Amino acid sequence: MMWRTILTLASIVLLAGCPRQALFVVLPNAEGGGAGAITVDDGKTVTTLDQPFAAAESRAGSSAPVEESRGDIGAIFQRAIAAQPILPHHFRLYFILGSDELTAESKVAYRAVFDDIKQRPVYQIEVIGFTDTLGDLSYNQALSLARAVATRDALVRDGLDGQAISIAGRGRRDLLVPTADQTPEPRNRRVEITVR
Amino acid sequence: MGLALWLAAGLLIATAGIPRADEARPIAQIKKVTGQAAVLRSGEHRPANVGDMLFVKDVIQTGPDGAIGITFIDNTVFSAGPSSQIALDEFQFDSNDFRGAMLADMRQGTLAVVSGDIARSTPGAMKVKTPTAILGVRGTTFAVQVYGDH
Repeated sequence: MMWRTILTLASIVLLAGCPRQALFVVLPNAEGGGAGAITVDDGKTVTTLDQPFAAAESRAGSSAPVEESRGDIGAIFQRAIAAQPILPHHFRLYFILGSDELTAESKVAYRAVFDDIKQRPVYQIEVIGFTDTLGDLSYNQALSLARAVATRDALVRDGLDGQAISIAGRGRRDLLVPTADQTPEPRNRRVEITVR
Repeated sequence: MGLALWLAAGLLIATAGIPRADEARPIAQIKKVTGQAAVLRSGEHRPANVGDMLFVKDVIQTGPDGAIGITFIDNTVFSAGPSSQIALDEFQFDSNDFRGAMLADMRQGTLAVVSGDIARSTPGAMKVKTPTAILGVRGTTFAVQVYGDH
Protein backbone atom coordinates (compact mmCIF):
# COMPACT_ATOMS: atom_id res chain seq x y z
CA MET A 1 0.00 0.00 0.00
CA MET A 2 2.74 2.40 1.05
CA TRP A 3 4.91 1.33 -1.88
CA ARG A 4 2.04 1.98 -4.25
CA THR A 5 1.59 5.46 -2.78
CA ILE A 6 5.32 6.14 -3.17
CA LEU A 7 5.29 4.86 -6.75
CA THR A 8 2.25 6.98 -7.59
CA LEU A 9 3.85 10.04 -6.06
CA ALA A 10 7.10 9.32 -7.91
CA SER A 11 5.28 9.01 -11.24
CA ILE A 12 3.42 12.26 -10.60
CA VAL A 13 6.73 14.02 -9.90
CA LEU A 14 8.29 12.48 -13.04
CA LEU A 15 5.28 13.37 -15.22
CA ALA A 16 5.22 16.91 -13.86
CA GLY A 17 8.60 17.43 -15.53
CA CYS A 18 7.15 16.65 -18.97
CA PRO A 19 5.17 19.21 -20.97
CA ARG A 20 1.42 19.00 -20.79
CA GLN A 21 -0.06 17.41 -23.93
CA ALA A 22 -3.75 17.72 -23.26
CA LEU A 23 -6.20 19.04 -20.69
CA PHE A 24 -9.70 17.62 -20.10
CA VAL A 25 -12.25 19.57 -18.06
CA VAL A 26 -15.87 19.10 -16.98
CA LEU A 27 -17.81 22.35 -17.14
CA PRO A 28 -21.05 23.28 -15.35
CA ASN A 29 -24.05 22.98 -17.65
CA ALA A 30 -25.02 26.28 -19.20
CA GLU A 31 -28.72 25.49 -18.93
CA GLY A 32 -30.64 23.24 -16.58
CA GLY A 33 -27.95 23.04 -13.89
CA GLY A 34 -25.69 20.16 -12.97
CA ALA A 35 -22.47 19.24 -14.65
CA GLY A 36 -21.25 16.80 -17.24
CA ALA A 37 -19.29 13.60 -16.85
CA ILE A 38 -16.45 12.31 -19.01
CA THR A 39 -13.94 9.50 -19.02
CA VAL A 40 -10.34 9.91 -20.12
CA ASP A 41 -8.75 6.70 -21.40
CA ASP A 42 -5.03 6.79 -22.19
CA GLY A 43 -4.82 3.06 -22.98
CA LYS A 44 -3.53 2.21 -19.51
CA THR A 45 -5.85 3.95 -17.10
CA VAL A 46 -9.35 5.37 -17.29
CA THR A 47 -10.05 8.54 -15.29
CA THR A 48 -13.65 9.52 -14.64
CA LEU A 49 -14.45 13.20 -14.11
CA ASP A 50 -17.97 14.07 -12.94
CA GLN A 51 -17.77 17.29 -10.93
CA PRO A 52 -17.83 20.86 -12.24
CA PHE A 53 -14.28 22.01 -13.01
CA ALA A 54 -12.83 18.53 -12.37
CA ALA A 55 -9.82 18.17 -14.69
CA ALA A 56 -7.31 15.64 -15.99
CA GLU A 57 -4.16 16.19 -17.97
CA SER A 58 -1.91 14.14 -20.23
CA ARG A 59 1.85 14.24 -19.84
CA ALA A 60 4.23 11.82 -21.59
CA GLY A 61 1.19 9.91 -22.87
CA SER A 62 -0.17 9.22 -19.39
CA SER A 63 -3.24 10.93 -17.98
CA ALA A 64 -4.15 11.70 -14.38
CA PRO A 65 -6.50 14.00 -12.48
CA VAL A 66 -5.12 17.50 -11.93
CA GLU A 67 -6.17 20.54 -9.92
CA GLU A 68 -6.90 23.43 -12.25
CA SER A 69 -8.32 26.69 -10.95
CA ARG A 70 -11.61 28.04 -12.32
CA GLY A 71 -9.75 31.15 -13.35
CA ASP A 72 -7.20 29.20 -15.39
CA ILE A 73 -9.92 27.04 -16.98
CA GLY A 74 -11.87 30.18 -17.85
CA ALA A 75 -8.79 31.76 -19.42
CA ILE A 76 -7.78 28.66 -21.42
CA PHE A 77 -11.25 28.08 -22.88
CA GLN A 78 -12.48 31.69 -23.02
CA ARG A 79 -12.36 31.99 -26.82
CA ALA A 80 -13.82 28.52 -27.41
CA ILE A 81 -16.70 29.17 -25.02
CA ALA A 82 -17.32 32.61 -26.54
CA ALA A 83 -17.76 30.91 -29.93
CA GLN A 84 -20.55 28.68 -28.60
CA PRO A 85 -23.73 28.98 -30.67
CA ILE A 86 -27.10 29.54 -29.01
CA LEU A 87 -27.94 26.06 -27.67
CA PRO A 88 -30.71 24.01 -29.32
CA HIS A 89 -34.11 24.34 -27.67
CA HIS A 90 -37.17 22.06 -27.59
CA PHE A 91 -40.80 23.15 -27.49
CA ARG A 92 -44.22 21.47 -27.36
CA LEU A 93 -47.39 23.02 -28.70
CA TYR A 94 -50.82 21.47 -28.12
CA PHE A 95 -53.87 21.22 -30.37
CA ILE A 96 -57.64 21.19 -30.14
CA LEU A 97 -59.25 17.73 -30.36
CA GLY A 98 -59.31 16.39 -33.92
CA SER A 99 -57.91 19.65 -35.29
CA ASP A 100 -54.72 21.26 -36.55
CA GLU A 101 -55.58 24.45 -34.63
CA LEU A 102 -53.51 25.31 -31.55
CA THR A 103 -55.11 25.56 -28.10
CA ALA A 104 -55.41 29.09 -26.70
CA GLU A 105 -52.44 28.54 -24.36
CA SER A 106 -50.28 27.18 -27.18
CA LYS A 107 -51.11 30.17 -29.39
CA VAL A 108 -49.33 32.23 -26.74
CA ALA A 109 -46.51 29.68 -26.41
CA TYR A 110 -46.04 29.82 -30.19
CA ARG A 111 -44.71 33.37 -29.84
CA ALA A 112 -41.90 32.09 -27.60
CA VAL A 113 -40.96 29.53 -30.26
CA PHE A 114 -40.94 32.22 -32.93
CA ASP A 115 -38.87 34.60 -30.77
CA ASP A 116 -36.35 31.85 -30.01
CA ILE A 117 -35.87 31.17 -33.72
CA LYS A 118 -35.64 34.87 -34.60
CA GLN A 119 -32.67 35.45 -32.28
CA ARG A 120 -30.56 32.93 -34.24
CA PRO A 121 -28.45 34.16 -37.19
CA VAL A 122 -29.08 30.82 -38.92
CA TYR A 123 -31.46 28.09 -37.87
CA GLN A 124 -32.70 24.58 -38.54
CA ILE A 125 -36.14 23.61 -37.28
CA GLU A 126 -37.73 20.17 -36.94
CA VAL A 127 -41.47 19.87 -36.40
CA ILE A 128 -42.95 16.46 -35.57
CA GLY A 129 -46.72 16.02 -35.17
CA PHE A 130 -48.49 13.56 -32.86
CA THR A 131 -52.06 12.63 -31.89
CA ASP A 132 -53.91 10.88 -29.11
CA THR A 133 -55.37 7.37 -29.57
CA LEU A 134 -58.85 8.46 -30.59
CA GLY A 135 -59.53 7.28 -34.16
CA ASP A 136 -57.74 4.82 -36.39
CA LEU A 137 -54.12 4.72 -37.51
CA SER A 138 -54.48 6.34 -40.92
CA TYR A 139 -56.73 9.14 -39.63
CA ASN A 140 -54.20 9.96 -36.91
CA GLN A 141 -51.24 9.70 -39.27
CA ALA A 142 -52.85 12.32 -41.51
CA LEU A 143 -53.85 14.50 -38.53
CA SER A 144 -50.34 14.42 -37.04
CA LEU A 145 -48.84 15.50 -40.35
CA ALA A 146 -51.50 18.23 -40.72
CA ARG A 147 -50.43 19.59 -37.29
CA ALA A 148 -46.79 19.70 -38.39
CA VAL A 149 -47.76 21.36 -41.70
CA ALA A 150 -49.93 23.95 -39.92
CA THR A 151 -47.03 24.79 -37.60
CA ARG A 152 -44.61 25.17 -40.48
CA ASP A 153 -47.08 27.29 -42.44
CA ALA A 154 -47.53 29.63 -39.45
CA LEU A 155 -43.75 30.04 -39.09
CA VAL A 156 -43.36 30.72 -42.81
CA ARG A 157 -46.29 33.19 -42.72
CA ASP A 158 -44.46 34.99 -39.93
CA GLY A 159 -41.41 35.34 -42.16
CA LEU A 160 -39.19 32.34 -41.45
CA ASP A 161 -37.43 30.33 -44.16
CA GLY A 162 -39.49 27.26 -45.08
CA GLN A 163 -36.38 25.55 -46.47
CA ALA A 164 -34.97 25.43 -42.94
CA ILE A 165 -38.04 23.67 -41.53
CA SER A 166 -38.45 19.92 -41.78
CA ILE A 167 -41.74 18.25 -40.89
CA ALA A 168 -42.94 14.74 -40.04
CA GLY A 169 -46.03 13.07 -38.60
CA ARG A 170 -45.86 10.14 -36.22
CA GLY A 171 -49.61 9.62 -35.82
CA ARG A 172 -50.61 7.94 -32.57
CA ARG A 173 -47.21 6.35 -32.07
CA ASP A 174 -44.89 7.83 -29.38
CA LEU A 175 -47.57 8.97 -26.95
CA LEU A 176 -46.32 11.56 -24.47
CA VAL A 177 -48.79 10.19 -21.93
CA PRO A 178 -49.47 6.45 -22.35
CA THR A 179 -53.20 5.73 -22.59
CA ALA A 180 -55.55 2.95 -23.61
CA ASP A 181 -56.86 2.84 -27.17
CA GLN A 182 -59.56 5.41 -28.13
CA THR A 183 -58.64 7.79 -25.30
CA PRO A 184 -58.77 11.55 -25.84
CA GLU A 185 -55.68 13.01 -24.12
CA PRO A 186 -54.85 16.71 -24.58
CA ARG A 187 -51.13 16.23 -23.85
CA ASN A 188 -50.78 13.73 -26.70
CA ARG A 189 -52.28 16.14 -29.28
CA ARG A 190 -49.08 18.02 -29.98
CA VAL A 191 -46.15 19.00 -32.13
CA GLU A 192 -42.62 18.75 -30.82
CA ILE A 193 -40.34 21.41 -32.17
CA THR A 194 -36.55 21.39 -32.10
CA VAL A 195 -34.85 24.68 -32.87
CA ARG A 196 -31.10 24.76 -33.45
CA MET B 1 -17.33 -25.80 -41.46
CA GLY B 2 -21.11 -25.71 -41.26
CA LEU B 3 -20.92 -23.69 -38.05
CA ALA B 4 -18.37 -21.24 -39.49
CA LEU B 5 -20.64 -20.64 -42.46
CA TRP B 6 -23.61 -19.98 -40.21
CA LEU B 7 -21.50 -17.61 -38.11
CA ALA B 8 -20.34 -15.79 -41.24
CA ALA B 9 -23.93 -15.50 -42.48
CA GLY B 10 -25.02 -14.22 -39.06
CA LEU B 11 -22.25 -11.63 -39.10
CA LEU B 12 -23.28 -10.48 -42.57
CA ILE B 13 -26.87 -10.02 -41.46
CA ALA B 14 -25.73 -8.26 -38.28
CA THR B 15 -23.53 -5.82 -40.22
CA ALA B 16 -26.28 -5.13 -42.73
CA GLY B 17 -28.46 -3.91 -39.87
CA ILE B 18 -25.97 -1.27 -38.67
CA PRO B 19 -26.86 2.13 -40.11
CA ARG B 20 -24.02 3.39 -42.23
CA ALA B 21 -22.85 6.96 -42.44
CA ASP B 22 -24.44 8.62 -45.41
CA GLU B 23 -21.66 10.81 -46.78
CA ALA B 24 -24.05 13.05 -48.69
CA ARG B 25 -26.15 14.02 -45.68
CA PRO B 26 -25.16 17.14 -43.72
CA ILE B 27 -24.22 16.34 -40.12
CA ALA B 28 -23.82 19.86 -38.76
CA GLN B 29 -24.26 23.55 -39.55
CA ILE B 30 -21.80 26.38 -38.93
CA LYS B 31 -23.49 28.83 -36.56
CA LYS B 32 -20.76 31.27 -35.58
CA VAL B 33 -17.43 32.36 -37.04
CA THR B 34 -14.91 34.92 -35.78
CA GLY B 35 -11.57 35.70 -37.44
CA GLN B 36 -10.04 33.06 -39.66
CA ALA B 37 -11.83 29.72 -39.91
CA ALA B 38 -11.83 27.12 -42.66
CA VAL B 39 -13.22 23.73 -43.57
CA LEU B 40 -10.89 21.14 -45.07
CA ARG B 41 -12.94 18.88 -47.33
CA SER B 42 -11.48 16.29 -49.74
CA GLY B 43 -8.06 17.94 -49.47
CA GLU B 44 -9.42 21.40 -50.27
CA HIS B 45 -9.62 24.40 -47.92
CA ARG B 46 -12.84 26.41 -48.02
CA PRO B 47 -13.55 29.48 -45.91
CA ALA B 48 -16.04 28.70 -43.14
CA ASN B 49 -19.23 30.76 -43.42
CA VAL B 50 -22.17 30.99 -41.05
CA GLY B 51 -24.96 28.78 -42.43
CA ASP B 52 -22.65 26.35 -44.27
CA MET B 53 -23.34 22.65 -43.81
CA LEU B 54 -20.68 20.20 -42.66
CA PHE B 55 -20.28 16.57 -43.64
CA VAL B 56 -18.63 13.52 -42.15
CA LYS B 57 -14.81 13.59 -42.67
CA ASP B 58 -14.74 17.41 -42.79
CA VAL B 59 -11.97 19.04 -40.75
CA ILE B 60 -12.67 22.39 -39.09
CA GLN B 61 -9.68 24.68 -38.62
CA THR B 62 -9.18 28.08 -37.02
CA GLY B 63 -6.33 30.58 -37.39
CA PRO B 64 -4.44 32.27 -34.53
CA ASP B 65 -7.31 34.79 -34.13
CA GLY B 66 -10.14 32.51 -35.23
CA ALA B 67 -13.02 30.72 -33.55
CA ILE B 68 -15.95 28.65 -34.83
CA GLY B 69 -19.21 27.30 -33.42
CA ILE B 70 -21.19 24.45 -34.99
CA THR B 71 -24.35 22.52 -34.10
CA PHE B 72 -24.80 18.87 -35.13
CA ILE B 73 -28.12 17.35 -36.23
CA ASP B 74 -28.28 15.44 -32.93
CA ASN B 75 -28.06 18.84 -31.14
CA THR B 76 -24.46 18.39 -30.00
CA VAL B 77 -22.70 21.77 -29.96
CA PHE B 78 -18.99 22.23 -30.64
CA SER B 79 -17.09 25.50 -30.31
CA ALA B 80 -13.39 25.79 -31.03
CA GLY B 81 -10.98 28.56 -30.08
CA PRO B 82 -7.91 29.84 -31.96
CA SER B 83 -5.36 27.58 -33.71
CA SER B 84 -7.61 24.54 -33.50
CA GLN B 85 -7.99 21.55 -35.77
CA ILE B 86 -10.81 19.04 -35.32
CA ALA B 87 -11.71 16.25 -37.75
CA LEU B 88 -15.32 15.03 -37.82
CA ASP B 89 -14.25 11.42 -38.37
CA GLU B 90 -17.45 9.49 -37.75
CA PHE B 91 -21.08 10.46 -37.34
CA GLN B 92 -24.20 8.33 -37.48
CA PHE B 93 -27.57 9.42 -36.19
CA ASP B 94 -31.10 8.08 -36.47
CA SER B 95 -33.53 10.92 -35.80
CA ASN B 96 -36.36 8.45 -35.10
CA ASP B 97 -34.83 6.74 -32.06
CA PHE B 98 -32.04 9.31 -31.40
CA ARG B 99 -29.40 6.60 -31.44
CA GLY B 100 -26.07 6.97 -33.17
CA ALA B 101 -22.31 7.23 -32.82
CA MET B 102 -19.83 10.04 -33.10
CA LEU B 103 -16.04 10.33 -33.16
CA ALA B 104 -14.22 13.64 -33.39
CA ASP B 105 -10.44 13.77 -33.75
CA MET B 106 -9.09 16.74 -31.83
CA ARG B 107 -5.60 17.37 -33.15
CA GLN B 108 -4.84 20.77 -31.72
CA GLY B 109 -6.37 23.74 -29.94
CA THR B 110 -9.31 24.25 -27.62
CA LEU B 111 -12.80 22.79 -27.89
CA ALA B 112 -15.89 23.28 -25.72
CA VAL B 113 -18.71 20.75 -26.12
CA VAL B 114 -22.33 20.44 -25.07
CA SER B 115 -23.37 16.91 -25.96
CA GLY B 116 -26.71 16.09 -27.57
CA ASP B 117 -29.00 13.17 -28.37
CA ILE B 118 -26.29 10.64 -29.27
CA ALA B 119 -24.54 10.85 -25.89
CA ARG B 120 -27.89 10.81 -24.09
CA SER B 121 -29.50 7.86 -25.86
CA THR B 122 -26.46 5.71 -26.60
CA PRO B 123 -24.05 5.56 -23.63
CA GLY B 124 -20.44 5.34 -24.75
CA ALA B 125 -21.27 6.22 -28.37
CA MET B 126 -19.73 9.70 -28.37
CA LYS B 127 -15.96 9.99 -28.26
CA VAL B 128 -13.34 12.68 -28.74
CA LYS B 129 -9.95 11.36 -29.72
CA THR B 130 -6.80 13.28 -28.79
CA PRO B 131 -3.17 12.33 -29.55
CA THR B 132 -2.74 11.01 -26.00
CA ALA B 133 -6.13 9.80 -24.79
CA ILE B 134 -9.69 9.10 -25.83
CA LEU B 135 -12.42 11.03 -24.11
CA GLY B 136 -15.72 9.22 -23.55
CA VAL B 137 -18.79 11.38 -23.08
CA ARG B 138 -21.50 10.70 -20.55
CA GLY B 139 -22.88 14.23 -20.94
CA THR B 140 -23.04 17.05 -21.23
CA THR B 141 -20.70 20.05 -20.92
CA PHE B 142 -16.94 19.71 -21.08
CA ALA B 143 -13.83 21.13 -22.71
CA VAL B 144 -10.60 19.79 -24.15
CA GLN B 145 -7.29 21.45 -24.91
CA VAL B 146 -4.67 19.75 -27.05
CA TYR B 147 -1.26 21.39 -27.16
CA GLY B 148 0.34 21.70 -30.57
CA ASP B 149 3.73 20.11 -31.22
CA HIS B 150 5.73 23.33 -31.15
